[in-house]
Amino acid sequence: MITGEQKPIDEIREMIAPYKRILVLGCASCVAECAAGGEKETAMLASTLRIAAKMKGEDVLIEEKTLDRQCVRDFVILLDDIIEKYDAVLSLGCGAGVQAVAEMFTEVPIIPAINTEFLGETRDQGYWLESCLGCGDCMLHHFGGICPVARCSKQLFNGPCGGAMDGRCEINPDVECAWHLIVDRLTKFGALDRLENIYPPKDWSKKQGGGPRKIVREDQQK
Amino acid sequence: MTGEQKRTLALYYCQNVPASGERERQDLEEKYGGNIRLFPVPCSGRLEPIHLLLALEEFADVVYIITCPEGTCRYSEGNKRAKKRVEMTRTIIASIGLEVERIGMIIGSKENPISLADHARAAMERTLRLPPSPVHN
Repeated sequence: MITGEQKPIDEIREMIAPYKRILVLGCASCVAECAAGGEKETAMLASTLRIAAKMKGEDVLIEEKTLDRQCVRDFVILLDDIIEKYDAVLSLGCGAGVQAVAEMFTEVPIIPAINTEFLGETRDQGYWLESCLGCGDCMLHHFGGICPVARCSKQLFNGPCGGAMDGRCEINPDVECAWHLIVDRLTKFGALDRLENIYPPKDWSKKQGGGPRKIVREDQQK
Repeated sequence: MTGEQKRTLALYYCQNVPASGERERQDLEEKYGGNIRLFPVPCSGRLEPIHLLLALEEFADVVYIITCPEGTCRYSEGNKRAKKRVEMTRTIIASIGLEVERIGMIIGSKENPISLADHARAAMERTLRLPPSPVHN
């Protein structure tokens, strides 16, 4: 899923300051899972902004709504009936969601309330870990299901580097050494000989450099 | 209580707190009138920051949560969760310049159980030490 964290309230208040009728728009998908922009967080942010406005005597309308997905036009279109009421939308969607809403409603400013961060997994309650860079050329099968691109601080394809201590990364001891994990995992299913392979540098053209990537599936189209 | 002192306290309380039945709730409402709004919850862990924020936004000068004593939660760790959510909500209101004391928490004592009425009195005393909420004035 895509993870994110809410921006500081001062920054949000500064961004919405020019507007008087604001829709706080949540997204019930990825950002709900990472407790940044789901229905609950949207209600909290809207209430906080209303309290702040009341304290300052500001005459503003702040309402909230949460879409199932902000990055899917079939859901974004649900704003069609209500968007005219507002002069700005404060979106708690990820960057893709913000842009999808902005693309459909070009006359209303869409303001991001969260900083989109990474593709990650929910490790535990309140703990999300980056696990994928979306490189466009998945090689997890070589590395026992652990990505050295996303999880090794040095992004080594031919590790380990030798600097790890007790399974922790020498760059940041808070981080598990990805190559320590890879070796452990390969050992468990008797595939340690894969480490003898030499992996060439990655072809990053599949991730970036050619403008925004797209997927077109005719079988899925109308 | 004089007009100048008038405050509204939103009081959420775990139904595991001693003497916190419906009868006691009605007695407290009668005693404090509109100055106290009582919200029994099956477990304080059910409360979310949005409940506390909405109370502050809509009507309350101060919000308090009364939990059962640590180690006695019927649902294992509800009161621990409530504590974290109170801390989070305090962080939120501090970020917009509202006093953190407007959200309070009272954790019951296993050794010295205190009734809801006594908790309510303590919470109301602390409420009156604060000025009226700038949200409603």
